[in-house]
Amino acid sequence: MSTGTEPETEPEAELTEPGSETDEAALESLLGERAIARDDHLNAPGFVINPNDVQSVLSDLRDEAGYDHLSCVTAQQYEDRYESIYHMKKFADPTDEVSIVVPTTVDNPVSQSAEPVFRTADWHEREAYDLVGVEYEDHPDLRRILLPETWQGHPLSKDYDQEKPQLVTLTEHQNPIQPDHRDAESDTMFLNIGPHHPATHGVLHVKTVLDGETVADVEPDIGYLHRCEEQMCEQGTYRHQIMPYPDRWDYVSAGLLNEWAYARAIEDLADIEVPEYAQIIRTMGSELCRIASHMLALGTFALDVYGEFTATFMYTFRDREVIQDILEDLTGQRMMFNYFRVGGVAWDLPEPREEFFEQTREFLNELPTKVGEYNDLITGNEIFQTRCIDTGVLETEVAKDYGCTGPVARGSGVDYDLRRDDPYGYYEQLDWDVITRDGCDNYARVLCRMEEVEESAKIIEQCLDLLEDWPEDERDVQANVPRTLKPDAGTEIYRAVEGAKGELGIYIRSDGSDKPGRFKIRSPCFSNLQALEEMSEGEYIPDLIASLGSLDIVLGEVDR
Amino acid sequence: MSGATASPFPLQNGGDPVLLPEHITELTGLGQFGLAGELLATFVAAFIVGNLILAMTGVAGPWAKRKITASFTDRIAVNHLGPGGIGIIIADSVRLLAKENIIPENVDRPAYDLAPIVIAGSAMLGFAVIPMGSGIHLADPEVGLAFVFAVAGIASIGLVMAGYASGNKYSLLGGLRAVAQNVAYEIPLVVTGMSVVLFAGSLQMSEIVAVQNETTLFTIPGLEWAVPAWFALVNPFAFVLFLIANFAEVGRNPFDMPEAPAELIAGYQTEYSSVYFVLVYLGEFLHIFLGGAIIATIFLGGPAGPGPDELGIFWFILKIWGVFFLTQWLRSAVPRVRIDQLIEIGWKGLLVLSFANLGLTAAIVGVIA
Repeated sequence: MSTGTEPETEPEAELTEPGSETDEAALESLLGERAIARDDHLNAPGFVINPNDVQSVLSDLRDEAGYDHLSCVTAQQYEDRYESIYHMKKFADPTDEVSIVVPTTVDNPVSQSAEPVFRTADWHEREAYDLVGVEYEDHPDLRRILLPETWQGHPLSKDYDQEKPQLVTLTEHQNPIQPDHRDAESDTMFLNIGPHHPATHGVLHVKTVLDGETVADVEPDIGYLHRCEEQMCEQGTYRHQIMPYPDRWDYVSAGLLNEWAYARAIEDLADIEVPEYAQIIRTMGSELCRIASHMLALGTFALDVYGEFTATFMYTFRDREVIQDILEDLTGQRMMFNYFRVGGVAWDLPEPREEFFEQTREFLNELPTKVGEYNDLITGNEIFQTRCIDTGVLETEVAKDYGCTGPVARGSGVDYDLRRDDPYGYYEQLDWDVITRDGCDNYARVLCRMEEVEESAKIIEQCLDLLEDWPEDERDVQANVPRTLKPDAGTEIYRAVEGAKGELGIYIRSDGSDKPGRFKIRSPCFSNLQALEEMSEGEYIPDLIASLGSLDIVLGEVDR
Repeated sequence: MSGATASPFPLQNGGDPVLLPEHITELTGLGQFGLAGELLATFVAAFIVGNLILAMTGVAGPWAKRKITASFTDRIAVNHLGPGGIGIIIADSVRLLAKENIIPENVDRPAYDLAPIVIAGSAMLGFAVIPMGSGIHLADPEVGLAFVFAVAGIASIGLVMAGYASGNKYSLLGGLRAVAQNVAYEIPLVVTGMSVVLFAGSLQMSEIVAVQNETTLFTIPGLEWAVPAWFALVNPFAFVLFLIANFAEVGRNPFDMPEAPAELIAGYQTEYSSVYFVLVYLGEFLHIFLGGAIIATIFLGGPAGPGPDELGIFWFILKIWGVFFLTQWLRSAVPRVRIDQLIEIGWKGLLVLSFANLGLTAAIVGVIA
């Protein structure tokens, strides 16, 4: 996998590693006759199964073989068939992957739903139905998820007319504020939280049923910020045209982390080795982004719990500002960085280098004081503790079932961090820890983020030391990458990195041209948001708002 | 009206004018017109007091609040218009008054229109009996303290009216919370106030102030500073209780549940715009100031302070702003509690403590007497 970590020694062995790690023979015997063919992907062995066997195969894989993480569901249409791919991993070891490929006919694209086995499949399959058109039998609630109910056709299917504009007005579409009074007789009240509401962190619509102040039912309604990112990526060339898009998924400050997701997928797909020096710069830049992102999460969470005039929010923004300045010096941009390139980064550290190192070190030196300040303000506050401890509870097993990743999962005691478990970049050579907390509540998630900030600072510190001492004539920032990238037709890969919010995965199927045949984004926020229902039902409205804040979603990434 | 005999500042004593209307009658000679003249003088006096309070909110709302919050959060806030950005007061007034007053279709009028007036008016009424020093004191009824609590309590009706009449679920939830909160905290507030009455032996505001300043708690040795027996010093426990209940009463952090901007958008004031919004907002500030005024009067010796009696109004305003400053500080630094926690603190905590305080005070006062 992580090409470039030890490029001189064994790049070939690394590329074939995923296949060798997975015990294919055991899998074959487990699946038995249900596996009708093989369809291996670059990252994992793939087994083709019948549409009727989805539930039995997936539950066997989870219960017998330990594949307890349904990372992503990709659907796509070929000339002769539809295909749903279930990308499965183990929380204990994400390098142990397996892909379950479920083809269906074009005339009757019906496949069994995986929802009864993995709750996370709910939204993933709804998205597949919405955008591609595969129907899932046994799915509890197969509706469109990103597009309006009245949308005609499935935009990523072959027979969809891309040229025909579709205007969906409020009167045609269900008016989101229309179903105001649902049941005149009942004791509950239906409340639309959003799409425009101060606590939804973007345009999210949460359909809430209240019993007094208690939340009886929650249903997030997403898609208000859907910008066809997957399709836009499919229309860009691998070499240069896709890289600017990831900045716009989790757009608040995690740009470089997102770029790395694409970079990692395409570099593994096209077999490109990234120079070590560039990997260190990437690692440093990404961790700066992670701190910025966690600062924002902390600040907005404080906003939800404290109210609009809180000092915490401004303090986090003050500190985030310093990072933005550093990143601006490094990349030339404050948010939409577009700094990574396939095979490296755009340019070396800014000159004079000493000044950059000094500025970054100054930030790192001040960080412990800042974190201490946050601890005084937030975690040391007893009211804050009564508000956050034991609210928004997300049990470990539930978190896994929903495919939660990132600080949300780690706050629920799931020890899962791709930087350590599926190493890429330069993380393996550095000394840092994965933070997990088993509080499973809002408080645990907040603490988790605050401690991760300190771990990220450690990583940056080590990267700075390495970069400072790097010999001047070995500062390669880019690998030698062909002008046009054309991976072999039919090659498929699913690669994930640890984004700010969790596992950010990219699935690419090459069709032999210089553009992807299918480009699928596995957004961590999308999976995490699903768990909101589980976390907030039976609690009070303020806890619902706090739980939403502690999930730290960015709607640009949820809706893509 | 009967006043105390010896006091550091003017009280009704013999035939000397004490209250502002009486001063005005004497100064302008309106007294010769009989009842009509006195009535006019009273209106003039009310006008002066009202404008003083409104001027304070005018400074507080658009300017001081921004500056205070900004300094807590490492910002600069308004600084373009006039020195320290003070000109923003004029700009903001023009802006707010020039905005269109949007009245949603399904609001329940006239309750919707009356609510802002009730909210702002109830607080204004309270200032009528507050002795602000320097002779600024509109009326001094014997039931002064009870009057203040009574009229301040009217605001709850305004909040419910606003919440219910807006025809908005967020407003309704905010209104419901406001009532639950006011009911839960008004009782501890009044009960704690009663402990002060036990000390003072009177509900009359001027009397309460006089009692605090008559007696000396102790003298700081060496400096010969006589520390007056302000009730905040005599019974700090009651002071803290009252302060907390007051924050809940005026709906500020950590008890700003009725608005709860992140949860209920803006609670009962969600549907108010333009002038109505100004009134609701004004009402909130007036209530903070009234809370400050009550605290200053019954716990901090009213307008008393070093220097001549004419400085009374200065010290009084300073004390009110001290309380205002405290609310803004809490706003920046303290999270809000959840509605159920709030009610729990009110009924299980404050209520019990305030009754304990009352009983204890009654016992001590009884023993001393």
